[in-house]
Amino acid sequence: MAEFVGIDLGTTLSGLAYLKSDGNPEIVPNADGERLTPSVVFFDTHEDVKLVGSAARDGGEPDRTVFQIKRHMDDPEYLVDIDGKKWTPSEVSALILAKLKRECSKIIGEINEVVITVPANFNELARKSTIAAAEMAGMKVKRLVNEPTAAAVYYAHNQGVQGRILVYDLGGGTLDTTILEVQGDNIRILTSEGARHLGGSNFDELLLDAYTEQYQKQTGAQLYSDERHRRRILQATEDAKKMLSKLQRVNDTVSNDQSNGIARIDLTRDGFEKMVRQMLTRTVMLVEQALDSAKLKPSDIDHVVLVGGSTRIPKVKQILEKLFNKTPKSCGNVDECVALGAALFAKKSARIQEVCNASYGTLAMIYNAKTGEEKLMNSIVIPKNTPIPCSRTQVYQTSEDNERVIEVDITQGEDDDPRYVDIIGRITLEVPPNRPKGCEIAVTFSYDENQRVRALVVDKQSGRSREVAVSYKGAGVLSDEELKKKSVSLRQMRIE
Amino acid sequence: MFKKILQSLSKSQQAKSQAPVPAKPSGPLPVAPVGASASSVTPKPNVLERVVIGTPQKDYPTTSSSKPRTPEELCELTPKMSKEQISARLKLLYRRFNRSASSLDPKIRAEAEKMLNAIVLVREKHFGEL
Repeated sequence: MAEFVGIDLGTTLSGLAYLKSDGNPEIVPNADGERLTPSVVFFDTHEDVKLVGSAARDGGEPDRTVFQIKRHMDDPEYLVDIDGKKWTPSEVSALILAKLKRECSKIIGEINEVVITVPANFNELARKSTIAAAEMAGMKVKRLVNEPTAAAVYYAHNQGVQGRILVYDLGGGTLDTTILEVQGDNIRILTSEGARHLGGSNFDELLLDAYTEQYQKQTGAQLYSDERHRRRILQATEDAKKMLSKLQRVNDTVSNDQSNGIARIDLTRDGFEKMVRQMLTRTVMLVEQALDSAKLKPSDIDHVVLVGGSTRIPKVKQILEKLFNKTPKSCGNVDECVALGAALFAKKSARIQEVCNASYGTLAMIYNAKTGEEKLMNSIVIPKNTPIPCSRTQVYQTSEDNERVIEVDITQGEDDDPRYVDIIGRITLEVPPNRPKGCEIAVTFSYDENQRVRALVVDKQSGRSREVAVSYKGAGVLSDEELKKKSVSLRQMRIE
Repeated sequence: MFKKILQSLSKSQQAKSQAPVPAKPSGPLPVAPVGASASSVTPKPNVLERVVIGTPQKDYPTTSSSKPRTPEELCELTPKMSKEQISARLKLLYRRFNRSASSLDPKIRAEAEKMLNAIVLVREKHFGEL
């Protein structure tokens, strides 16, 4: 049985690694002989089989192919409809995980417990959906770990470095930046910041626009008229993007599916860099945000580590080198280090101190007795970057006489302004009648090591209390009972 | 010195509908209508039973004139602002709208994208391109 197993469930690629007896992690290939499996699922019409990986990605039926399901893991209403059957993002992810488990266990032995990586800014629901996906695939999640943390663990292990490390993880779908401190065998995360929908696939879309424009200019026709052809061109743009990381100029020839002729596409690295410049500026702003959150300057960072396929773009290295005045280092294969780090994390988790990825609080009217000013604000109980697991309490007062029901909104977000935070739940607590306003209510938030939050509200006078874990409802969210049923059904499916 | 009085979303909405003039938010004024207007921001009955990212209480002001606003206007920069003030303002806005860009509400996400583009343009103008 493989004891320490890590899985990188990526937006575009997924990988599984295990810890060998010598203490070094190793990627386990799938049955197709690939070290990484494209996170794509194809639902076949003729046979009751789900294809996962390259075969699914390279197949031709976009209506039956699911790409980048990870981008929907936090959407409670998102469903994929195949032949009238509705699949939740969690179920689709479970198919990817099931392929990895089934095929890799033939090489390393039974896989029961795993560490799975998630983007640093994955919210509560997305984390819960990831755990549910693993359970459906027949694996228990020992821990979830943030992707940049896993990469940094691998980098620190592989390079034997000490000091402050900034990890810049630009993957297929997301950007994550984490700053951590390595002292001996101990790792302390200082902060993690993330940007959704900012990754290699956004660059591909920009290149697709360039292809479309050049094709139209040369032939006067549209480059694609359906999703199937658009996907094929998108694959070509991805290949061109990779070439532009090695060459200054790339030529391609494309045709549409209406026999309107062939066009020659000319791309230069300079042109590509101009195309993606504004996206890259956003990534720099995220790095600056991370530095601000950790109260550090660029010169305080000892190592800048690159993770994710999009960090192969030379401009990425250049801008980071300019910002930090030091050459960023890649942690080996940028596509594999997250899975490798997850396997290491499975063994070393006790020595890794993580932090709360978001601030949690409630809405309160904050009254400044000195100035007389009163303002509705997001009152933070657990600030972002608090070491986890943790628990914090704040005492509030009731606002009205004879208040019978206390309602406490649970907010997620750092902004003082309530308009810019998310309300992720509410606790309602009944209290005794005939009390004046100003009664004390203690609100406690606790945060576990899987970055899941619980809230407790206590009426101090009566001692009544109510505790809840944030729960979600929606068509795309499975109940515990549904989860059990789906697990049984998934185990009987043919997944290849 | 600070007294913290609990307010739920529904209470704050009630208070808003009764209050004569709500205080002007200190935040930026995003570009276009997002979701409902201030007078119709009553949350759906089940809104808090689900993940609510970008709830209707985000009553962004609407664009009153037909003239498109410049990136500086969107970011509420004034000509008298120093480089440091512009930098601080852009950082605050970036943090705020990078977060909104993850909203499940496509309208809020679209507005966040517009704001992020404006923030980048202003940054490039005042601090140079990468």
